[in-house]
Amino acid sequence: MVERGPLVLRPASAIPELCGSVELSRAWVLACERHPQLATVIAYKGRRADVAARLKDRYALSLPDGPRRATRGASALIGLGPRSWLFQRETGPALEPELSEVLGDAAAVTNQSDGYVVFRLTGPRVRDVLAKGISIDLHDRVFVPGCSVGTTCAHIGVILWRLEDANDVSVFELAVFRSLARSLWHFIEESAAEFGLAVTPAC
Amino acid sequence: MTRLGSGGLIDRSQQLRFTFDGKSYAGHAGDTLASALVANDVKLVGRSFKYHRPRGILTAGAEEPNALVELGTGTRREPNTRATTVELFDGLVASSQNRWPTLALDLLSLNQLLSPFFVGGFYYKTFMWPASFWEKVYEPLIRRAAGLGRASGLPDPDAYEKATAFCDVLVIGSGPAGLMAARTAARAGARVILCEDDFRLGGRLLAERVEVEGRPGAEFARSVEDELAAMPEVRIFRRTQVFGTYDGGTYGALERVADHLLAPPPGVPRQRLWHIVARRCVNAMGAVERPIAFADNDRPGVMLAAAVRTYVNRFAALPARRAVVFTTTDDGWRTAQDLIAAGAEVSAVVDPRREVPDSIMAPLARSGARLLRAAKVTRAIGGSSGVKAVEVAQGGSLLRIEADGLAVSGGWNPQVGLTTHKGSRARWSPELSTFVPGSLPEGMRVAGAVSGDYGLSACLRAGHDAGSAAAQDCGFAAASPDVPRAEDEPIAVAPLWHVTGGRGKSFVDQQNDVTVKDVEIAWREGFRAVEHLKRYTTLGMATDQGKTSNVVGHAIMAELTGRPMEDVGTTVTRPPHLPVAIGAFAGRHRGRHFKPTRYVSGHDWALRHGATMVDAGQWLRPQWFSAPGETDWLTSVIREVKTTRLAVGVCDVSTLGKIDIKGKDAGVFLDRVYINRFSTLPVGKARYGIMLREDGFVMDDGTTARLGPMHYVMSTTTANAGKVMQHLEFYHQVVWPELDIAMVSVTEHWAQYAVAGPRSREVIQAIYGTAADVSNGSFPYLACREIMLGEIPTRLFRLSFSGEMAFEIAIPARYGESLLGELLREAVGRGGCAYGTEALGVMRVEKGHVAGNELNGQTVVRDLGLGRMASSEKDYVGRIMAGRPALVASDRPTLVGVQPVDSKQRLRAGAHVLALGAATTAENDVGYVTSVVYSPTVGSWIGLALVKGGTAQVGTRMRAYDPVRNGDIEVNLVSPIFVDPKGERLHG
Repeated sequence: MVERGPLVLRPASAIPELCGSVELSRAWVLACERHPQLATVIAYKGRRADVAARLKDRYALSLPDGPRRATRGASALIGLGPRSWLFQRETGPALEPELSEVLGDAAAVTNQSDGYVVFRLTGPRVRDVLAKGISIDLHDRVFVPGCSVGTTCAHIGVILWRLEDANDVSVFELAVFRSLARSLWHFIEESAAEFGLAVTPAC
Repeated sequence: MTRLGSGGLIDRSQQLRFTFDGKSYAGHAGDTLASALVANDVKLVGRSFKYHRPRGILTAGAEEPNALVELGTGTRREPNTRATTVELFDGLVASSQNRWPTLALDLLSLNQLLSPFFVGGFYYKTFMWPASFWEKVYEPLIRRAAGLGRASGLPDPDAYEKATAFCDVLVIGSGPAGLMAARTAARAGARVILCEDDFRLGGRLLAERVEVEGRPGAEFARSVEDELAAMPEVRIFRRTQVFGTYDGGTYGALERVADHLLAPPPGVPRQRLWHIVARRCVNAMGAVERPIAFADNDRPGVMLAAAVRTYVNRFAALPARRAVVFTTTDDGWRTAQDLIAAGAEVSAVVDPRREVPDSIMAPLARSGARLLRAAKVTRAIGGSSGVKAVEVAQGGSLLRIEADGLAVSGGWNPQVGLTTHKGSRARWSPELSTFVPGSLPEGMRVAGAVSGDYGLSACLRAGHDAGSAAAQDCGFAAASPDVPRAEDEPIAVAPLWHVTGGRGKSFVDQQNDVTVKDVEIAWREGFRAVEHLKRYTTLGMATDQGKTSNVVGHAIMAELTGRPMEDVGTTVTRPPHLPVAIGAFAGRHRGRHFKPTRYVSGHDWALRHGATMVDAGQWLRPQWFSAPGETDWLTSVIREVKTTRLAVGVCDVSTLGKIDIKGKDAGVFLDRVYINRFSTLPVGKARYGIMLREDGFVMDDGTTARLGPMHYVMSTTTANAGKVMQHLEFYHQVVWPELDIAMVSVTEHWAQYAVAGPRSREVIQAIYGTAADVSNGSFPYLACREIMLGEIPTRLFRLSFSGEMAFEIAIPARYGESLLGELLREAVGRGGCAYGTEALGVMRVEKGHVAGNELNGQTVVRDLGLGRMASSEKDYVGRIMAGRPALVASDRPTLVGVQPVDSKQRLRAGAHVLALGAATTAENDVGYVTSVVYSPTVGSWIGLALVKGGTAQVGTRMRAYDPVRNGDIEVNLVSPIFVDPKGERLHG
C-alpha cells in the first residue's frame, strides 16, 4: 500500500462556464446558481398524516397539497406528487440524516443535494426568458409566489417555483438534474441574450 | 417615379436605399418592397412558374401569387419571399427568381412555345415510362426549368426560437373589427393578445379613404393602438402571422422579429414561433380580393383593385397613370375615385352589370372616364414592360382602350383558413357569392370581413360585440358599449368568374400557371371534385395556397359540371395558413442542441485527459483516452484493456441508472419485477438481476444491492434507465398499489466509478485509508457498503463487468471530478490508467457479458445463456409469456462466441452466420454476429453471436458473411467467455 496524506476532495460546479455576459446595470435578467440541500420525502402507505404532523412539529411547515411550495425560515417543502415532496434547506447541518430521524418510519428520505442544480432567475424580463422554454402560464396573478410546477423547459425536465418578489420584481427558481444543468444554462444564456443577462452571486 | 407629392403613411424624411436585380432604388420608411417598386415604376418583378411569363405585382398582401423574390445574399438568401409583405429597410437586396439569364430576357420563356404540352396533367401523362427515369432524368429536368427560388444551401447564420404566450382573448388581425375586439375585451379587463401580420396596425383602415368618428381611418387606428399599448394586460404582436388553429385553444403564430433589419442585432432571433394559448379568440383576419380570369390577365400592370387603393392611399405610389378599372363590385368603383383623387387618369370603368347604383357612378360623372356597363374586359394587351391597352367587349363590339394599368375587382374571399383547421368546412353564401366560415373551432368567434361583413360600420360593431362577448366568456363584466361612428360603403357583388372570347391564356392560378383551359381539361378527364382538381392541375398549391385563385377555379368547375357552388365546395385548408420557415419550428434546437445533452461530473476532467467523447443517448461518455503519441482509437483501446487486465483501470460509470427502492415491501416488489429473487439477498450484498417485459423478452439487466433491511439500490443500463423507472412506477402505482414501497431515481445524485484490475483493491484501499477495510475477507466479491469518507457519504460495491477483480465507488456528484483525479493518481502510481466505453466494451465481450446489442428486445433469457437465473418458485413480470412455444423452442438462436479461423482477419458485427459451403441465401442463415471487438487478450477480432442451436454448435466452423462490407470469412464457434472462464479473477 502506498503511503499518502489525508484525502481531500473538492466540490465542483456543474456548470463551469457560468459567467455573466453583460454588466449588471444593463441586465434585464439576473441569474445565479444556488446550492441548497435537497432531499425527497416519500410518505409510506397510509402515513401522509404522520409526515405532515412531524414536519409541522419540527419545522412548522405545512405539507403542500399539490404543486405548491411552503416555506418557513431557511426550509421549504415543494409538492412533487401525491405523496412526494422535495425538502429544500439553504443552510444548517446535513439534511438527510436529520430528516430521516424526524420522519422515522413514516417516509423514505433520499438525499438529492447533488442530484439537482438550482438556478435563481429574476429581473424585469424574466418571464420573457422563461416563456421561451416553459409552456406554463407564469402571469403575476396566475403563478403566484408559492406556486411550483414540474414541467419541461426546452425539453429539459425542471421543477419551477416562484419566490416572494424582491423589490417588486418576480423571482423564480428552477431545479434541474445536475447532468442537464449545462444544457439548461445554454438555454438561459441564449434566451436572455436579447435582454442582457448578468450572473450575480446574490440575485 | 410614380410617388405622389404628398400623403400616404410613409416617412419621407427617411430615405431607404435598396437594390432589385442589382439596380439601385430608393424608398421610404413605411414602404414595403412592393410599394417601393411601384413607386419606382418597376412593373416586371418575376417570371411565372411553368411558362416563365412576365409577371408583376397583383396584390398588396400575403396572398400575393406573383411577386415572389429572393431576399438577401449568401447565407441569408431567402427564396420565395412575397415582395408585398417585405418591410423595406436600408440596404435591402432583392432579386427576381425563376429566370435565366435576366428577368427581361428570360430564355426559359421558350417554355411558352411548348405550352400546348404543359397543360394540366402533362407530367402525369408524359413522364410515365420507364419508371426508373422519373427520379434520375425527368424530375431533375422539370425542377430545373419550372420552379421557384433557390435555397442558399448554406448553414443559416440566424437564430430562431419558440415561445408560449397565454391570454384570455386572442385577437387575430388589427383592421377595424380586430381593433374594436381588442379594445373592448381589454377595457373589460381581459388579458388580450393582438396579432397583426403587418408592421403597422389598422388593416384596411390604412388603405382606404374612410373616416371613423370624423377622423381619417389611419388616425383612428393609431389612437386605438395608443390606448391598447398603454394597457398592461395587452400585448401587441406586430409582424406576427397566426398560421394555425390547434387543440385546446392553442394557436400557432410566427413573429418576424428581425426580418425588417439587415441582420438581427446580437442575441435577437430572426423569427420566433409562438404557441398562443387563448381561452377565447376573435378571428378578424378579413378578406382578400379575387381576380377575374380573362385573356392575358397576368400581364404586369394588372392589379387587384383594392391593392391599387392600398398603393395609392397608404404608400402614395401610383401603380398606373392611366388606368382601366374592371369591376363586378361596387367596391371597385372606389378604386377609380381614389385614382382620380390622386391625380391619375381613369380611361374607363368596365362593369359587367347592367345596373350600377347612381350613387357610385355619380362621383365619376365629370372625371372624363368612360363608364361602361354590361361590358367585360376580354384581354389585357401588353408584354413584359406592362399593360399598354385593354380590350373591352360591350354589346357586339370590341373596344381598345389605351391604359398603362388595369385594376380588377371580382369580389372578396373571407380568409376562412383558420376556421377550418380543426375540421369544419367553409359554407357557400349565395347572398355574398363567397365562402364564409362554417362551424367554428371551440372558443373562436369571427368578426368583420372574415365573416362576410364588409362595411366599415358593420366591422366596427361586429368587432366590438365579439370582443365584449369573448371577455364575458372569460368572466369579465362587459364594459359600457362604445362603437365608433362610421359609414357602411356600398358592397354589392355580381359574381363573374371568367371572361371568354379573348385571345390568349386566361389565368386562374397565376402562381401555378393554371388556366381556365386547365380546369376544363381536368373536368373533361373526370377530375371534377375540387380536391382532384387541385392535385391534377396544381390549382391552389404552393406559397399562396390559392388565396386569390381557389374560388375562381372552383366556380369554373361548378359552371362546367352544372352544379351549384354549395355542392362543389372548396378545398380543405390545413396549417400553416401562410408559409413558415422550417427553422422556426426547430427553434434553438440545432446541431449539438438538437436535444439536451447530459454531462457527467467528470466531463471536463475527461477532456483534460485526452478523452474522445461519444453520445450514449443524451449522455456524453468518454469513449477512449488518447495517451501522448497515440493517433488511432484502436491503439488507445488496446492499451487501456491491457493496462486494466494487467494492473488497474478507472472508468466513469455514472450514467448507469440508479434507483433507490425503500420500504417494507421492497424485497417483494423486486422479486416480482426481476426473474430472480432479491428478498433473500443479505444486507451488504449485491446480485445481478434480469427483468422482462410483459411479453417475456428481456427488458434490462443490472445489479441491485441491499444497503439496509428496507433499502435497495438498483442499477440499470444507461440506455434503459428512464424506461425501467417508468416500468417500476407503473407496476407500483397501477398493478400493486398495495405494496408499501418508495422509489426515487438517484442517478443524478451519485457519480460512480469502476476501478477494475488485479491492483484495483490497492487503489480503493488507498482512497479509504483507515475508513474501511476492503480486503477480500472483509469485502468479498458482490459485497456492498455505505462508507463515510470524512464528511462525505459514499457507497462501495464489489462488482465486475470486465471479469477482473473490480469495485464501483459512488460519491455525491459534486465530488465526482475530484475523486476521479484521486483515483487516477492512485491508479497511475500502480501502472494503471483511465479507460472509456470502448475498452469497457472489449472487456465485456471478452468476458461474454451481454449488453445492448444482445438485449435487443428480441432475446429471451435462455437465448443469452441465462435461463437458469429464472426462478421457478415465484411469479414475475413476463413469466407466462416467456413460456410461449416459440420462445422455448430448441432451435432458437442462442449466444456463442465467434473467432476468425485466421486471426488476422477482421470480423464484422452484423455478419450473417452460415454453414460452410452453404449458399448465401436467407434460408441458410443460421444467425448473426451481435458484437465484435478486437481482443488484445485473445490477439484477434472476436465476437458474440446468436446462432441457432448455439451451445451445441460450439466447436464447429462456420462462415461469417457480411455482404454490406464484402466480408466472408471462416469462424470458429466457441464459448462466449474468452477470458477467465472459471471466474477466478473476480474473487481474487
